[in-house]
Amino acid sequence: MKPTAQSISLWLTLVFGAVLLVAFVLFPGFFPPMAPGMTAREVAAFYDQHTTMIRLSMITFNFCGIMLMPFFMVIVHQMKRMATPSQVFAYCYLSAAVSGATLFAIADLFWLVAAFRPERDPQLTLLLNDLAWITFTAPVGMIIAQNLCLALAILLDVNPRPVFPRWVAYFSLLTAAAMAPAACAAIVRTGPLAWNGVVSFWLRVGAYGAFVVVMFFVLRPVIRRQEAEQAVAPSALAEGTPA
Amino acid sequence: MRDRGKRDLWICWWVFPVFYTLFGVIFVPLTRVMPPPRPDVTADQITAFFDAHSLTIKIGFGLLMVVIGGGSIANGLVAHQMKRMSISPVFAYGYIATLAVGGIPGCLFAGLAFLTATFRPDRDPQLIALLYDIALLSFIGSLGCFATQYLIFALAIFLDRNRILPNWMAYVSIWQVVTELMAAPVFIFRTGPFAWNGAISFYEGTAIFGVYIACLIALLRKAIERQPADERVPD
Repeated sequence: MKPTAQSISLWLTLVFGAVLLVAFVLFPGFFPPMAPGMTAREVAAFYDQHTTMIRLSMITFNFCGIMLMPFFMVIVHQMKRMATPSQVFAYCYLSAAVSGATLFAIADLFWLVAAFRPERDPQLTLLLNDLAWITFTAPVGMIIAQNLCLALAILLDVNPRPVFPRWVAYFSLLTAAAMAPAACAAIVRTGPLAWNGVVSFWLRVGAYGAFVVVMFFVLRPVIRRQEAEQAVAPSALAEGTPA
Repeated sequence: MRDRGKRDLWICWWVFPVFYTLFGVIFVPLTRVMPPPRPDVTADQITAFFDAHSLTIKIGFGLLMVVIGGGSIANGLVAHQMKRMSISPVFAYGYIATLAVGGIPGCLFAGLAFLTATFRPDRDPQLIALLYDIALLSFIGSLGCFATQYLIFALAIFLDRNRILPNWMAYVSIWQVVTELMAAPVFIFRTGPFAWNGAISFYEGTAIFGVYIACLIALLRKAIERQPADERVPD
């Protein structure tokens, strides 16, 4: 089968998703996640001790994190194919996906700036570390909007053979609900809602990871079916039609 | 397909007033960003400000972290209406792009900076003051993202022959470009009408923004009502 923009986007997700997983494991601040209760001196010592691994993993995140963008754009394109009254949710999804990805890129920069001069005044390293963790963890609103729009579009898709099965809508809502409590990570410093807590860290990261993996397998047959239909009626359903 | 309705448009429309009401509650009584606290204060006074309003800042901006995506949904609805206009979709896509950028420095970053300030009240007051400046300058002073959005929105309405939105709304939007320009001096002045809490930079701009949002919500409602349920918006 000839590679298409959509199938390549899925393969990019597979490759860079695997790289991101490695970077996730390599970042010393994730295993276990750094505690918000660490003092400025402890945080500075942490950056000093793990400088190389922090830089290596965060440069990898920097380079590969946004490589998942084509994956989210495949979802936008599939939302535009749905028999919903209009394509408005696809535009909402696109807007939220761009803003959400920007936040990740900014958080990554804060970590890298903190690791750039580990000898900096510990108060400044602590500030950069706080900004990194809070920007990474708390602003869950964009992904919530994305998943809400995706779910609503799926539920309103009246096609007898809908683009996505309906369970994807409920899964999308469940993912949003699992990630929502992480907003509290900018407020509390201990317990399951702190940025290193079970809910704000493990549940949030786990839900996001599970969403990407599940959507990868949901999208594969969807794209294949679209390509098969396209082969039958090349002009009407061609992926290349301006959309 | 029978009765396609306009349900998705109405869901998005309802997000609009709900989001901007929450926006008002978060930024005015809860976090005290509107009207903004003074720029001409010392680091100790800034620390005292955060100590006094810590709880409401946490509640308000914690809520913003969850609901900020409402802005993206509002963007999508406006872009959809712009795509119905008799013009190329360039401005509709531009509208999404400018606000997807602007939402971060122009709204969310104020929340992140304020929450980082209240996260550790024992931080060096100079650093708390830095977060205060980052929050207020980015919130009031993110000029270009919004000026571009207002400009292309106005141009789209002027050029549209389908009369999706009335011409006068384009003039309201042009006014908004002017208010963004008037807010430019916030990076220079710490007192007077051009400071971030000034009569021109803040009050004039916010008053016109209030009018703009109220008009936009009402006009979008009319536009959706008039839109035929089976209308096919060109890709």
